[in-house]
Amino acid sequence: MTRSLAVALNALGLYAVAFVLAAAFAAQLLLGELPCPLCLLQRIQFALLAIGPILNVRFGARPSHYAASLLVAAAGAAFAMRQILLHIMPGDPGYGSALLGYHYYTWAFIGFAVAIVATAVMLLFDRQFEDDGGTPPDAAGTFARTAVWLVIGLTAANVISTLLECGLAACPADPVAYELLKGMR
Amino acid sequence: MEFTALFLAITVVLLAAWLGARTLALALFAVTLVACVATYLHHASDVLKLSF
Repeated sequence: MTRSLAVALNALGLYAVAFVLAAAFAAQLLLGELPCPLCLLQRIQFALLAIGPILNVRFGARPSHYAASLLVAAAGAAFAMRQILLHIMPGDPGYGSALLGYHYYTWAFIGFAVAIVATAVMLLFDRQFEDDGGTPPDAAGTFARTAVWLVIGLTAANVISTLLECGLAACPADPVAYELLKGMR
Repeated sequence: MEFTALFLAITVVLLAAWLGARTLALALFAVTLVACVATYLHHASDVLKLSF
């Protein structure tokens, strides 16, 4: 795998992260499903997952960048697994609605598992880590630059959304309204 | 409030990764990841009812 192909695949990974963050926003804004604290923590891990691909696009692929994303994905999978276990008892309706038969936290676990496998597969290709004297990583194309700014923009939008939802106090365990907007009325 | 702070911290980490020095980005990343795990441990206080 050449260095430029690795950068392109990392950019694709950033689009995947952006898709997850956008889908979570869609569920929140269109279906009115406010994320619980554990749900927010999983969303946070998806945003932080972008650290590896962004560093790879900017500085070129390095094992340490992939390792950073692996650590985040492992933490995210653990958080999602806890929420699955909280609702595993027979008769428990789960938290929120289901999408294609699975609740969002189950999809989150699948997403983190896919991220772990995809990152491990990327680490199998040693040639991407060699300096082939080709295009400097800083000269990322529009495709990669757009992906980076998309993820950063969606993460920044989550700062505002979470501030509106939780207000300036601790986030409610089962949020039903935007706390900051309630306080303004 | 802590989740807003975490999202803000991640925005700063990602901006540092894209615009700043690599070492700074990795250091900020490490601090943020530890903060995420600490927040999880703080909230994960409910007992898991796993006995069937």
